[in-house]
Amino acid sequence: MNAIETEDLHIYYGKNHVIKGVNLEIPEKSVFAIMGPSGCGKSTLLRSLNRLLELNEDAKIKGDIRLFGKSVFDMDPIIVRREIGMVFQHPNPFPHMSIFDNVALGLKLNKLVKSKNELKKIVKWALEKSALWDEVKDKLHEPASALSGGQMQRLCIARAIALKPKVLLMDEPTANLDPVSARKIEELIFELKKDLTIVIVTHSPAQAARVSDYVAFLYLGKLIEVGKTEDIFENPKEELTEKYLTGRMG
Amino acid sequence: MVRMDKFKTFLAPFCGLVFGLFILMLIVYLTASLPIFEREGLAIYTTNVWKASENPQKEFYGVLAAIYGSIYTSVLAVLIALPLSISFAVFVIDYAPKRLKEPLMVATDIMAGLPTIIYGIWGAFVLVPILKEYVMMPLYEHFSFIPLFSFRPVTGYSYLSAGVLLGIMVTPFASAIIREAYRSIPYIYREGVYALGATRYEATKILLGYIKPAIVAGILLAFGRAIGETVAVSLVIGNVFNINPSLFAPGYTISSLIANQFGNAYIYKYMVPALFAAGLSLFIIGLIVNLAGLMYLRRFKYAR
Ligand SMILES: Nc1ncnc2c1ncn2[C@@H]1O[C@H](COP(=O)(O)OP(=O)(O)O)[C@@H](O)[C@H]1O
Ligand SMILES: [Mg+2]
Repeated sequence: MNAIETEDLHIYYGKNHVIKGVNLEIPEKSVFAIMGPSGCGKSTLLRSLNRLLELNEDAKIKGDIRLFGKSVFDMDPIIVRREIGMVFQHPNPFPHMSIFDNVALGLKLNKLVKSKNELKKIVKWALEKSALWDEVKDKLHEPASALSGGQMQRLCIARAIALKPKVLLMDEPTANLDPVSARKIEELIFELKKDLTIVIVTHSPAQAARVSDYVAFLYLGKLIEVGKTEDIFENPKEELTEKYLTGRMG
Repeated sequence: MVRMDKFKTFLAPFCGLVFGLFILMLIVYLTASLPIFEREGLAIYTTNVWKASENPQKEFYGVLAAIYGSIYTSVLAVLIALPLSISFAVFVIDYAPKRLKEPLMVATDIMAGLPTIIYGIWGAFVLVPILKEYVMMPLYEHFSFIPLFSFRPVTGYSYLSAGVLLGIMVTPFASAIIREAYRSIPYIYREGVYALGATRYEATKILLGYIKPAIVAGILLAFGRAIGETVAVSLVIGNVFNINPSLFAPGYTISSLIANQFGNAYIYKYMVPALFAAGLSLFIIGLIVNLAGLMYLRRFKYAR
């Protein structure tokens, strides 16, 4: 089954048409990469999937987006965002909250836990899942701002998966990290896809090749090509894709 | 490097000047109030008496009622201004239509800059009668068994009137600080909250947590302005040496006391020192409040 489908999706910022008729089918429990040069609309497309784009009053969406067959526009946006977690390009744990509270926040907001014990259990589980537990277990109540960039990003992953979402969106999650931290996040993606569907945006074809099962190439708001990762990389059908993959495009 | 240092030597005297003036002022206050301390000791702060007399032997001053009134009305003002200024800041940034934002901000900035006598007259002729008729009388009639409401509001001039008026006056200041902090919260944190499935109300609560230092700064500024405000308060507080728990009782504040007594103080031997000592207590209260705020903010440290 497809975790997410988009149908003739158009997105505008005011009069600026940035996503132009995109049709996607993202299979369940896979890693789906969206790659393309900077400014082609990757972040915009990704934010439309969990209806986060609607925070921006100028953004207008046309077409349909379905989560496991159901239109997200027929759902409460709060439920959509609970079921579709998101990790951002800049690690953004809340600096005024402790590490523990950052992970617990979504659970509390959505009233998903009944007792303190249950909360502790899920926080621990999420931190273990995001390979951060061993590094922070002795300082759970220190401010999240004391962590390194890579740790912060894993904290954001823990914060997102604590809600046990069905889908996890990642917008260039390693763009602001050093290579070692970036590697750790990529390894994490392999682990996480056993339980959920991951949609990752990247401007690096190499990263798409390393982490994804499927890849879509977006260019100037249009979907140029989409398919199994090895097919696209070994045998691109479109000239634009080939140019992009061989680095002959700006 | 060299140019930097030149600039530094240029700036240093100004910094010294500001500090020097401050220290000098403190010294003036201390020496000018010395006679009253020599005569009464700390009784100037711990008693409620105001005995002016041609005969210095009979003079005795104790400004406890004014200190009490200053703190009472300023705390009231902060309690009123805080919810008002936070709501206003959030409304302007998150809810007001784009076209209304700028005019609303300009309007509050103008409100902040108005001469305070304007608030004073409005307070005395409009606010006090309204408060007396629609707030104090009903509360007194039905709840006078509660100490806060136990004083029969005869004139309407009271701690409550002063507190409400001050609350309104300091709101634009507190609100400007909170608004600017709220506006400059990085967008990534807004997105972060909403991505976790927060409602608008929940998101606002969390983002306000992020700007807690600015809110504390807003409280400090509001308190400082409230306790220093003079003319407007003296028009609505009643100006009587009174220490009463009731909101509806008239009282005095230090700044209104100084302003009211200043004119005839020179006739008496000890009244000028008494007024300086009263001013010194404002210094001390301001210092304590600001230090408490700073200590709180220091505890609240986080990177960036
Ligand atoms: N908040 C916004 N308001 C208006 N235009 C925007 C906004 N965000 C992005 N855009 C425009 O939309 C296009 C796509 O941007 P984006 O989705 O951020 O691309 P990418 O993530 O691929 O770099 C760009 O031309 C950008 O200028
Ligand atoms: Mg982007």
